[in-house]
Parts: sequence; C-alpha cells; structure tokens
Amino acid sequence: MLAHAREEMSKGQAERLMPMLSDVSDGFAVDALAVCTGPGNFTGIRIAVAAARGLALSRGIPAVGVSALDSLAPLQGEALVVADARQGRLYSQLFRDGQAVNAPDMLEIDEIAQAAPQCWHIVGHRAEEVAERLASTDWREAPHADLAAIARLAAERIAAGTVERPAPLYLRPADAAVPSEAPPTLLP
Amino acid sequence: MTLILGIESSCDDTAIAVVNTDRTILSNRVFSQSDLHADFGGIVPEIAARAHAERLDIVAEAALTEAGVALGDIDLVAVTSGPGLIGGVLSGVMFAKGMAAGADIPLIGVNHLAGHALTPRLTDGLEFPYLMLLVSGGHCQFLAVTGPDEFTRMGGTIDDAPGEAFDKTARLLGLSQPGGPLVQAEAESGDPKRFAFPRPLMDRPGFDMSFSGLKTALRRARDKIVEEKGGITRQDRADLCASFQQAVADVLRKKTARALTAFAAEHGATTIAVAGGVAANTAVRAGLQQAARDAGFTFTAPPLKLCTDNGAMIAWAGWERYRLGQSDDMTLAARPRWPLDKTAAPMLGSGKRGAKA
Repeated sequence: MLAHAREEMSKGQAERLMPMLSDVSDGFAVDALAVCTGPGNFTGIRIAVAAARGLALSRGIPAVGVSALDSLAPLQGEALVVADARQGRLYSQLFRDGQAVNAPDMLEIDEIAQAAPQCWHIVGHRAEEVAERLASTDWREAPHADLAAIARLAAERIAAGTVERPAPLYLRPADAAVPSEAPPTLLP
Repeated sequence: MTLILGIESSCDDTAIAVVNTDRTILSNRVFSQSDLHADFGGIVPEIAARAHAERLDIVAEAALTEAGVALGDIDLVAVTSGPGLIGGVLSGVMFAKGMAAGADIPLIGVNHLAGHALTPRLTDGLEFPYLMLLVSGGHCQFLAVTGPDEFTRMGGTIDDAPGEAFDKTARLLGLSQPGGPLVQAEAESGDPKRFAFPRPLMDRPGFDMSFSGLKTALRRARDKIVEEKGGITRQDRADLCASFQQAVADVLRKKTARALTAFAAEHGATTIAVAGGVAANTAVRAGLQQAARDAGFTFTAPPLKLCTDNGAMIAWAGWERYRLGQSDDMTLAARPRWPLDKTAAPMLGSGKRGAKA
C-alpha cells in the first residue's frame, strides 16, 4: 500500500472525503477507482459511490464497487463474514476460498448461529460474540472493511472484464409504506 | 464561450443541463422518478436518494452527448447544494465534486430556490428588480429579487405548498400522482361554485397564505358525499376538483395583487415572474395574469420544462454567483434547509435543522 488515510467521524464525511482523497492520491497517476458499496450506513455509502461515479466519468477511468463483506473474506478456507447492521443485527455472508457461497443477508445474531455451519472461521464485527454462539474458537475481529482488499478485488475484476458501475449494497428495502386509506368508490 | 454544467437532485427528478452563458441551453435532461414513487402516494425520500445516486452519471453522459460537448469543454460545475431532500442533495453534491475535481473545473453550490428565482433572467434576460412568485409542490413564496444574491421574502405559505395540496386532493379522490395536471383535467368539467371551500388568511393583511385547511375541507366534503351515496360520481369528483382549484387560484390571485402593490410602492411596477409546477395550472395562471394586468406589471412565466425542477436553472444561477467572484471548494456541504432570504424571520420550520422558509 502506497498511501492510506482513515478518520473516524459520525458526520461530515461529505465535506472530508474529497480533501482526503486528494491528499492520499497526490503524486500518483490513478488508473481505476475502487469504492466500498457497503452494506452499512446508507448515506455514507451514497457519498462515496456518487463521488466515485463522478470521478470515473470525469477522468475516463473505471470505478468498481466492492462489498465490505467481500473485502473481509479470507483468500483460503471457509469463512463466515459479519458486519454491523445496527439495532443489534449483523450483515453476514459465507465464503469459500474468497468466493461467496451465498447471498449477503441481514440477520439477528441468533439467526446467524442457526444458519452457519459451526466449523467455519468467523471474521468481522462482533466476531468473538458470533464465535461463542457457534462454539467456535476460530475468529478474527475486524471492525472495518479492508481497504487494501477492496483495491485488490477491484483490480482483479477489471482484469477479468466484469466491471459494472458501482451501486450501494443496501440489503434492506427503503422505508416506505403504501397509503392505508383506500380512495372512495367511483359510482357510475 | 463559457459552458456550465448544472446538476439538480433535490427532489424526485435527476436533472442535468449544459448552458452557455449567452443564455443558450445546449441540453436539459430530466430523468423523472415519478414511476418509483407512484405506489406510495407521495415522494419517499430514501427511494429518491437511491435513484439519484445511481442515475446522476447516466444523466450527465446524456446531457453532454446531447449538447455535443466533452467534459473538457465545461468551464463550471454548478450543483444544487440545498434546500431539499438531503439524500438526493448529498448525492448530487458528491457527484459534482467528483466531476469538478476529476476534470479540474471550478465548482459552485447553488440554492435550489435561487435557481427558480433567477430563471426569468435565463429565459427572458429579465433585469432586476422583479417580483417572483415561486409556487410548487414544496414551496410557495413571494420574493423581491433585486440582485443575483439579493432576495427579500415578502410572504408565503405558513403550512402546505399549493402543489402539495393538489397532490393530496388527487389522493383523496383516487387520482394518481403527480396530482396537479389530473386535478386540472377533472376541474374542466366541474362546477367551481358547488363547494364553498375556505380562502384562509384572506381577511388578514400581508402576503402569507395557508393551504392545509383547504384539504381538510375537501376531505369533509368528500366524506359527506360518500356517506350519502356510498361513493362519489364522476361529476362529484369534477366538482370537488373545480371548487378546490378555484379556491387555490383565488387565494394566489388576491395575495399576488397585494404583493404587487407593495412591490410597486418600493421598486415601481416592473415584472412579475412565476415559477414552479403550480404556475402551469391554467386557472392559477389566468388569475395571476389578471392581477399583473390590474397592477400594470408585465407577466412572465418560463416554459414548463424550465418552471419545474431542471438542471438549466442551476447552471444559470451558478453562473450568476460565479461571475460575482464566488465559488466553492471540495468542502461544499449539502443543506436540507436554506432560506433564500437570510434576514427574514423564520416562517416555517425550526429546531436544529433551522428554518425551512
């Protein structure tokens, strides 16, 4: 890794992202952009995805979206990767040798215990807690997406020619309710 | 030649335009989201934000292609940085930053309301000062426009915007969204005098308006018919629409007449310009034109494509700021609330997000 920056912040990402990007990429001729598509905070993901799409268009370079779960998957072996979904829930996905085995999902911690094979290695947010439920001793706590892995996976996808425009990985529908009140009957 | 890319994503339209500073609009693309929100009877902020984030680059490509220019030909990137639905505004601002930083072009944040208020200068080359009535789904206010960055709010709605009232009326009567054009179409075969709907605040001095009581009155009238007949007939629906529309048009006409008198006393009788989707309603527009004639003002309304949300108005308003020597850097923030008139007392909204208008 040639350069790297991370700042913890609960708000203000929209104001800080571009100055940080400028500092980190200063002096390098960047050939492609990789952006984390979540799952996670919707607003934060959109901030990064929208900026990446703008930069890709203006620079004429590809932008590649990589999920946080993909970035944490070990290259070898079987692993259950988990990330924070707030309100006590977790995003989770199973991987074998770095390849996804199932689709990512959002689950209660108890549901993960039922869904996952017990022998697997556990990586991510609250990994120790998940490991306890699965009676596993093989775990690694990882609170954040792995930036270097995101860049590496993006490079692999560009080489394989499988690049689409980055899009946030939401894993839950927009909070919207169909109106409860029916319109009046239209009489002939 | 100076070319401006204007980006607008503060509500339910992803809109991007290329405008020349000689007032030529080279392209003006609008990607509407109405189909995404149709089932919900109103705009769902999270659905809007999701769509904007994944459509901005697609619309930008289309706008540049239609204009026949490359990004390298663009001299300024202007973007709505508020007020509006924050998820969409944020997506637009970040996309604009990416465009500006990547191509090394200056960036400028634009107040969405200034975009509407300065549109007559793009379309008609209107000189200052003029009176602006902004009347849409989210806003309703009278602005004395005396400079590119000088807006005095004379008055406005204290609750719902008229466009909101049209949408709610459509919903209450089983018409689809957006409600304005459909309510107008129904009203054509209706009796505007059958229902005596209220004209709130008409007896009070000043230019403030209220439209929330109107929809309650409409609901009561509808419920009364349903109670009697078990439903409403097509004629009932047309009459409800016509009576509702007449009430809105009356309030806007009379309050506009008052605003014109007050504006003329200070600046002379010049021009009144209207913008916003509701200005496209023929009954509303006829009333405003009458008020303008009576007060000796010229009336102007931009074509509908430039009256509703669009990127061209943002490009133009960005240019108006930029040529005063203003611009923004990569720390430009998105603001959910941002009153145009910084000095007027808050009329609508408060708390930690600040005044809405």
